[in-house]
Formats: sequence, C-alpha cells, structure tokens
Amino acid sequence: MSEAERKTDDDLHDGNSSRRDFLRNLGIAGASALISAGAPSESMANAPDTVSETSVQEFLQGHFVLMSEEEKKEAIARLEKRYSVQYSKKTTVADTPAPEGVLFGYALDIAKCIGCRRCVHACVEENNQSRGEHAIQWIQVMKIPKGNFSFSADRLDKGYPENSAVGDYGVQVGGNAYTPAGGLSTAHAQNYYAADEAVPDKDFFYVPVQCQQCEKPPCVKACPVRATFRDENGIVLIDYNWCIGCRMCQLACPYGARRFNWGEPELPAEEMNPKTHYFGNRPRMRGVMEKCTFCVQRTREGRNPACLEACPVGARKFGNLLDPESDVRKIIATKRVFRFKEEMGTYPKFFYYIG
Amino acid sequence: MFKNSLQSTPSIVVVALALVIAMAGILALVGGLNGRETATTPAGMQGKGRTAPVVTECFESREGSTSVTRVENAVPRYGYPNLKCSKTTQAVLWYGDPFDGTVPMGEMPDIRDGTRGDFAHAFVKPREAHLTYFNMGPDGCRTCHDGRTVPVPKSKSARPLAMHQDIVADSMQLQHGRGALWCLDCHSATDRNKLIDHLGNQIGFNQPQKLCGSCHGEAYIDWRAGIHGKRIGTWATGGKKRWWVCTECHNPHTVQANRFDPLLPEPPPPLPRGMRNANHERVGQGVH
Ligand code: HEC
Ligand code: HEC
Ligand code: HEC
Ligand code: HEC
Repeated sequence: MSEAERKTDDDLHDGNSSRRDFLRNLGIAGASALISAGAPSESMANAPDTVSETSVQEFLQGHFVLMSEEEKKEAIARLEKRYSVQYSKKTTVADTPAPEGVLFGYALDIAKCIGCRRCVHACVEENNQSRGEHAIQWIQVMKIPKGNFSFSADRLDKGYPENSAVGDYGVQVGGNAYTPAGGLSTAHAQNYYAADEAVPDKDFFYVPVQCQQCEKPPCVKACPVRATFRDENGIVLIDYNWCIGCRMCQLACPYGARRFNWGEPELPAEEMNPKTHYFGNRPRMRGVMEKCTFCVQRTREGRNPACLEACPVGARKFGNLLDPESDVRKIIATKRVFRFKEEMGTYPKFFYYIG
Repeated sequence: MFKNSLQSTPSIVVVALALVIAMAGILALVGGLNGRETATTPAGMQGKGRTAPVVTECFESREGSTSVTRVENAVPRYGYPNLKCSKTTQAVLWYGDPFDGTVPMGEMPDIRDGTRGDFAHAFVKPREAHLTYFNMGPDGCRTCHDGRTVPVPKSKSARPLAMHQDIVADSMQLQHGRGALWCLDCHSATDRNKLIDHLGNQIGFNQPQKLCGSCHGEAYIDWRAGIHGKRIGTWATGGKKRWWVCTECHNPHTVQANRFDPLLPEPPPPLPRGMRNANHERVGQGVH
C-alpha cells in the first residue's frame, strides 16, 4: 500500500468511526431526553413552584447576546426571581454593558507573590463557585523551583514588538522559536503544597494562573455554539444558559483555566454573593463551563477584581490597557514583563512581571 | 458586533450550528431537570454539612499590623458585610466595602519624580488606631514619653532598652538598615507621637510613606505610581482608591530579617478524584 493510499484509508476510517460515535452519542442523548421528557410536564403540573417553571423557560431561551432588550429583561427577571427563592435572599443579576474605550489587562508580580492563596479563596467568595465535593476554584497557584525560570535580559528586545491601532504597548514577545528569550518551565510545579508550612519558601517562587483573557482565545474558536465569546473589553465570557457542556473549550485552553460543573454546584445560601452579573458570578448549574472573567460584575461597574483586593503583598494590578496612566500600562512600560506560554500565540492580556 | 458576525456565518456552519443547538437543547433538558431537583430542596439545605462558624476577627496584609472586625450588613444595598475573613488563617479575603475605616490621604510631599499622582481620591486606613503603645493612654506615646516619666534621650546612639521588647526584641540588633539605623532616626526624640525624617520634618504615624520615602526613593516613586504596594476600590485612573501605606505590609523593625513577614497560606485545592495525596509533586525534591 502506498503512503498516499494508507493516508486516505486512515482518513476514511477516522471519518467513519467519528461519525459512528456521533450517531451513537446522539442516540444516548436522545434516549435520555426521552426518558426524562415526560418528567417536567408531569411534575410541573403538580409542583408549580417558581424554580422549576423558570428552569424550563431558562433552557428554552436564546443566546443572551442576541436577545432583544425586552427578552433580556425577562430573562434577568426570571433569574433574579429564581435565585432569590433558591438562596432566600434578594439577588440581583446585572447586565451592565461593557464600558467604552476600555481593554482590560492584568499584571502579576512574581517577585512579590508569596503563594498565600488568598486570591484563590477571595475569588470563590466573590464568584459563587461550588464548594464541597464538587469544589471549583478559578485560580491555581503553582509553586515552582527557582531554577525553572530563565529570562535573558540581553535578548528581551529581540522579539516582535506588538503594535496596534491604538499605539505601541512596548510589549516584546521575547524572542521567537529559534532564539527564545527564555521563559517559565512548569516542570516540578506543585499545585497542592500544604497549608501548614509558612510561605514563601525561599527556594521557590509562586505563579498564580487564571484565565489569561487571550486576545486570540482558542476556547472561543473551539466552542461549537458560541456560548463563549470575547466582549468589547477583551474579556472572554460565557452564556451559561447557552453552554452545552461539551468541554471543547477546556481542551483548547493551554492554561487549564476552564472549569466544568461535573455535579450540581454546592453553594451554601449564607455564603452566596447576591450581587451578580449575567455573564459573571451568577450561580451556575450542573453541566456548564465556568472560568475567571476578571470579575465582570465588578469591573464593568468600575471596581477592581476580588483577587486583586485580597492580595496582601500588592502583587496584582489591573486596569485599562488603552490608558497610558493605568497601573498595568506603567508596569508594562517600566518592568520586565512576560506572558505565560507566549509561544502558543494566544496573546494573553494577563502579564507576569518582575517588580 | 457579535450579532453581525453570527448572522454572516456561512450557511453550512448554520446547519451544523443548528444541529449542535438541537443537541444542546437535549442536553440542557437533562441538565435543567437535574436543576429542578435541587431547586426543590429547601434553601436551608444548601449549606448542609458546612456551616462552620463565621470568623469575625481578622487581619489585613500582615499578621499583627491591622486587625479588623467583620460587621454584618455594612453595605445594606447588597446585604454585604464590610469584609469576610478566612476560616483557616483569619486573613481578610474579601471586601464588601473597600473604604471601610478609611480617611482621605491628605496632601502628598512634592517629590519631583515625574509621576503625576492624583491623590484627590486617595484614601488610607489610619495607623494610629492599630498601634498597641499608642493606645495605652489618652496622650498616645506621650502618656509615658512626656519628658518626666520617660526622660527625653540625650544621645542618638544605640543602647539596650528595657522596654518595647515585643516590638524590637533586641535593640542592639535592630533589623533595619544593617546597623546604620537607630530608633531616633525614625522616631522623634522630643515628640514621641511623631515620626521624624532626616531633615527634621515631623510626620504622623498615619503617613509613614513620607518617612520611608525619604530614604527609599525608588520604592516610594513606584508606590506613588501605583506599581509598588496596593490600591483597592476603583480601577480607573483618578478614581477613588484605598492605598495601603508602607507599614501595613512592612514591619519597620524587622524588614532586614523579612521584607514581608512569612505567613500561613490558605488551604490547597481539593485533590482530583482518585488522587490520594500530592506526594508525587514532591518527587525529586526536598533532597537538599
Ligand atoms: C507604658 C509606657 C510607654 C509607652 C506608652 C510608650 N513607651 Fe516608648 N519607652 C518607654 C520606656 C520606659 C522607654 C525607655 C526604655 C529604656 O530606656 O530602657 C521607652 C523607649 C522608647 C524608645 C527608645 C528611644 C528612647 O526614647 O530611649 C522608642 C523609640 C520608643 N520608646 C517609642 C515609643 C513609641 C513610638 C510609642 C507609642 C507608639 C511609645 N514608645 C510608647 C515606655 C513607653
Ligand atoms: C525605619 C524607621 C524606624 C526605626 C529605625 C524604628 N522605628 Fe519604631 N516605628 C516606626 C514606624 C513607621 C512605626 C509605626 C508602625 C506601624 O504603622 O505599624 C513604628 C512604631 C513603633 C512602636 C509602636 C508599635 C505598636 O504597635 O505600638 C514602638 C514602640 C516603636 N516603634 C519603637 C521603636 C524602637 C524602640 C526602635 C529602636 C530600637 C524603633 N522603633 C526603631 C519606624 C521606625
Ligand atoms: C533613615 C533612612 C531609612 C528610613 C527612614 C527607612 N529605611 Fe528602610 N532601609 C534603610 C536602609 C539603610 C536599609 C538597608 C538597605 C540595604 O541593606 O541595602 C533599609 C532596608 C529596608 C528594606 C529591605 C530592603 C532590602 O533591600 O532588603 C525595606 C523593605 C525597608 N527598608 C522598608 C522601609 C519602610 C517600610 C520604611 C518606613 C517605615 C523605611 N524602610 C524607612 C534606611 C531607611
Ligand atoms: C501591599 C504591600 C506593600 C506596600 C503597601 C509596600 N510594600 Fe514595599 N514591598 C512589598 C513586598 C511584597 C516586597 C518584596 C518583598 C520581597 O522581595 O521579598 C517589597 C519590597 C520593598 C523594598 C525592597 C526593595 C524593592 O524595591 O523590592 C523596599 C525598600 C520597600 N518595599 C519599601 C516600601 C516603601 C517605602 C513603601 C511605602 C511607600 C512600601 N514598600 C509599600 C510590599 C509592600
């Protein structure tokens, strides 16, 4: 068999098997839909409670971005009502629009970070992640041996400067595939270092990782239904009601930043944050993706993200990349800045620096 | 923008999309039903098994520098407490009100460093309220340092002290300035309620940045620019922000030992299902 023939054969075979898989999966999904299809109408008839009514309406609704103002209002009222009942407190679901002329950026000083994980838990307090058995955290702090980091200052200016219509950010991608300027290796990274030893450990540095809000987000490309998209401020958001839970975005993300609700989220009513945004921290349901939004419910109203406010050493900076006076821009202009896994070409708006 | 691009999607993609959406509907139905099940659980059940007592006394950046108390419903609009504390370390994790207990920063010294700081909307948390010795009597430090009870020191050279060992364990080994600094390089000899810089300017405890800045120009310039230190509240340039002052992070009496005092971290994330411990992470390490 020639090389070419074998290739076609493989292709064919792959094609067949994936189509088979697809149909088989459809069959399973269809069957489970059938089994459960009778249930809602039945229970709806004798259990006319707000929550079950709204969840059916919720699942019938369209993509939030494509809704008319009227539909948006209805969808939001529906959610507010359901959450308020479910968590026995008045809950607001905002759809505050993206502020104009703003591109959000984040900078994190790995010379200051001590790995205390306060950001991780602040995020959970703010963003209504699941606690308990199916606990979800959007930030992961890696403890990395100091030797893993190489950064060659003399090659820093040898990359491709990134220009844009609004000006030169002065960011160097730092070399290229042939002459890398150095970088960060995650070999031997510890994500579960114990809480009974004081930090920082002098032989390590700490790198918190969360959604990098890529300018070229692979997750957005991977989403088959556009449930996840980039907003006008450059933030990658998710319409949880439109998400089908296929987890393609999770596979596509080089940063491991996306989290899936494998089970029904467990969110104690007394810990629930009742000030939410539709695309942000409103409680999620089982079977949908979630991730860091730089706290869209706060930032669109002018406030800093919760992780920044919790950081005891001031290693976290946030602001408008289009404003030369913003903290992030000043850092990019004056400090040694790099992006995590820049070789992936994702162009994160999350910058790490050495302060 | 999003709308347009979705509408202009080629028809093949539309067909594919429709298919997937149909799938989505089916899956969502399954999900939605599960959602209904929990929804019928009484709200109180949501927190079953995790009603650990709420921690109300906690500290901000470094332990022992700023203690704060949680106050319920401090922001009535959202039913927010002023802050939330960690159950494991008692550190502040979250601010309901970022300006809780702050006052306007006041005028900043004019340093020609080229930074156009905007301090009109700068707020700080006053330090005096958090100093143990400042609150021992009605006159602050002068309750003892009134010139009679404790005489005004005649010399500015280091000597062993029979007081304040909880603040400076060994005054002959002051952990700041590698032997070049003595208490009275920072504390006014004549008015103990004040700090003093090398030009003789008296500075209140609430504005330590003016003192530190007189020796640490570079850090101070970065601090003014918002690069060093911490600011919470709004992100916009010129917006209302709470600034952390130097001593909220640095202990001026121990910086040589630790620029920032080590502390216990918050708990690690739960191990993934099936992983019994995280020992694999340490393989090849710890053999120093
Ligand atoms: C309870 C009484 C008391 C209070 C309140 C007090 N001090 Fe003192 N302090 C002393 C005594 C007594 C000494 C002298 C110890 C010695 O000479 O061995 C001293 C010494 C010092 C010294 C060493 C320099 C010197 O004067 O000899 C400094 C600096 C100092 N105190 C700062 C402060 C500051 C700042 C405060 C307020 C935040 C304060 N003290 C409040 C009792 C007090
Ligand atoms: C580098 C400047 C500097 C030096 C040197 C210094 N201090 Fe202080 N000291 C400060 C500042 C600033 C504060 C306020 C700390 C704060 O805001 O938490 C302070 C606070 C204090 C307090 C009050 C602490 C409390 O919590 O009640 C005492 C007492 C004190 N110093 C004593 C001393 C003594 C004694 C020495 C010399 C052995 C000394 N200091 C040397 C800057 C200095
Ligand atoms: C009178 C001058 C002076 C004042 C005022 C002063 N410092 Fe220092 N500081 C020094 C010197 C000198 C050193 C030692 C520098 C070195 O070792 O290279 C130092 C070291 C430090 C360090 C450790 C830096 C390093 O490189 O290890 C920190 C952090 C620091 N100071 C913070 C402060 C803070 C915060 C204040 C205000 C409360 C302050 N300093 C006030 C002179 C001063
Ligand atoms: C939010 C906390 C925070 C505040 C506020 C803060 N610092 Fe720092 N500072 C740090 C941390 C963290 C480091 C790095 C510690 C390390 O390297 O281990 C640092 C480092 C320093 C150093 C060491 C040299 C350097 O530049 O890295 C100096 C000096 C210093 N700070 C002075 C100041 C002065 C002066 C102020 C006030 C104008 C201030 N700091 C305010 C957290 C803070």
